Amino acid sequence: MRASGVRYLLGQGVENIWKNKMMAFASFCVLLISLLLVGLSVLVSINISSMIGGVENKNEVIVYLQEGTTDMEVSELYGELIRIDNVAEAKFYSKEEAFEDLKGNMSDYEMVFESLGEDNPLIDAYRIKVKDISTIEDTLAQINMMQHVEKIRAPMDFVNTLMEFRHIITIICGVIILALIIISLVIIANTTKASVFARRAEIQIMKYVGATNLFIRIPFFVEGMLTGLFAGIVALVVTWLSYDALVNLLTQGTNVMAIFGMTSIVKFGDVALPVILAYLVAGTFFGALGTVFSTRKHLNV
Amino acid sequence: MIEMRDVSVIYSGGVDALHHVNLKINDGDFAFVVGPSGAGKSTMIKLILKEIDPSSGSIYVNGYNLNKLRRRRVPALRRTIGFVFQDFRLIPSMTVYENIAFVLRVVDAPPKYIKKRVPYVIKLVGLSDKEKNYPNELSGGEMQRVAIARALVNDPQLIIADEPTGNIDPELSYEIMELLQSINEIGTTILMVTHEHSLVRHFGGRIININQGEIVFDEIVGGNLINES
Repeated sequence: MRASGVRYLLGQGVENIWKNKMMAFASFCVLLISLLLVGLSVLVSINISSMIGGVENKNEVIVYLQEGTTDMEVSELYGELIRIDNVAEAKFYSKEEAFEDLKGNMSDYEMVFESLGEDNPLIDAYRIKVKDISTIEDTLAQINMMQHVEKIRAPMDFVNTLMEFRHIITIICGVIILALIIISLVIIANTTKASVFARRAEIQIMKYVGATNLFIRIPFFVEGMLTGLFAGIVALVVTWLSYDALVNLLTQGTNVMAIFGMTSIVKFGDVALPVILAYLVAGTFFGALGTVFSTRKHLNV
Repeated sequence: MIEMRDVSVIYSGGVDALHHVNLKINDGDFAFVVGPSGAGKSTMIKLILKEIDPSSGSIYVNGYNLNKLRRRRVPALRRTIGFVFQDFRLIPSMTVYENIAFVLRVVDAPPKYIKKRVPYVIKLVGLSDKEKNYPNELSGGEMQRVAIARALVNDPQLIIADEPTGNIDPELSYEIMELLQSINEIGTTILMVTHEHSLVRHFGGRIININQGEIVFDEIVGGNLINES
C-alpha cells in the first residue's frame, strides 16, 4: 500500500472518533471505568501485601550462642549468618544488653535482680530478621547447622498465621481482580459491538465497493486503540491524583494508618512505572482488541 | 460479461430461489431484469457479487470463475463491478467527494489520480456544486446520482443497478435512466433490476423476465415500439 493510503487509513481512524463522538465517548467511559476498577484493586492488593510485608518485618529470630563462644567466633558467625540469602539483618545482642533490657522490662521485680547481683544468667545472641518468612524453616535449618549455635527461637505460630492470612488475602485479591477483568472485557466487547453495529451499513458499503477486510478494519482498529489510549491516560491521572490524595489524608496529622500499625503504605511513585505501562498498554490493547472481534461479524458480506 | 450455466440456488430453508438458470450478458449490453417480488432477482445479484454461492451450476463474471474464487479474492471481483442500490447506501459521515473517492482509495489509486478523477465523475453526474455536501443535505435524485458516480469512478466493466429509481420521483427516474444509458454508450455493461415497467417500456433494450426462479422471457425489445403498441 502507498504511504498516502496508510496516512488515509490512520487519518480515518482519528476522524471516526470525532464523527462518532457519542459511541467513542461511551467506549472511552467503559474503558476508563474498567481500568480504574482494575487498577485501584491492584493498588489496594499491592498495599495489603506491603502491609503484610511490614508485619513480616517485625518478625525476629533469636539465635542463642553457646556459652564460652569467643569474640572471634561470634564475629565469624556473623559473617556466616549474613551470607544466608534470606537473612535481611543480623544484630548482636549481648547478654549484658539483654540483662539490662530484662531489668527495664521487669522493674517491679527489682528484688529478684538484686539477689542475682552481678551474676548474669542470660547468654549472648543474634537477633535476625528474615526477608521472606515463607522460607523461614529452611533458613532456621541452615542456622541450626552452624557451630556455636545453642538454640533458636522463632515466632513460628506468628509466621504460620501470617502465611495463612497472606495466602487467603492473595486468593481473595486475585479472584476480585480476575472477576473485574472479566466483567470489564464483557462490557468493553459489548460497547465496541454496539459502536460497530451502528456502522454496519458503512462496513457493508465498503465491502460492496471491493474494500478488503484489512482496509475496513484499520480505521476501526486505530479508533479503538486511540480511545483506549486516552482512557488509559485519564485513568492514570485519576488514579495518581486520588491515590496520592488518599495517602496524604491517611498519613498526615494523626496518621490514621499508624494507629492501626500499618506504616507501610506504598507511595505511588514506587509503583508509577509499572502502573503507567499497564494502564497505557491495557487501554490500547483492549480498545483495539474490542474492534477486531466486533468488526469480524459484519465483514462477512 | 456475465455467464450463468445451469445455476440453481436453494436456500437453507428449502426455498428454491433460482431453478436451472442459463444466462449470458455480453460486454456492452444494457439489460433489464424484471419480475415480481420473490422471483429471484436479488438472488441473482447476490450470486454475481459472490455474496452467496450457487447450490449447483457455474458462474463467470468479468473473467472470474466464481465457483473457484477464494473469499479473499472477492474484493478484486467487486472492484470490476459498480453497484447502485435502491436506497443509495452512501456513507453518511462522508461528503459527496469522499463517498466517491473512497472507491479509489480502496484500490490504492495515486492521490493525484483521485484528485483528477473524482471531480470529473461528479461533473459527469452534474453535481459539481455539491462536492462538499453530506448525503443528508441532498435530494433522493442527487443521492442516486452520487451513487452512480461512485459506481462509475473506478471505470468498472459492469454496473449493477438494483431498483435505482425505486426511491426517487418518477420524473427524476428518467434522468437517472438517461445517465445510465450514456454510461452504457461509452461501453460499460449495465444490468438493471427494476419493477417499473413504464421505464422499461419507454427505454427498451434487453429484457430478462424472471418468475419463480426461472427466466421466462429474454429478448431485446425496442423501447418506443413497445410504448406505441
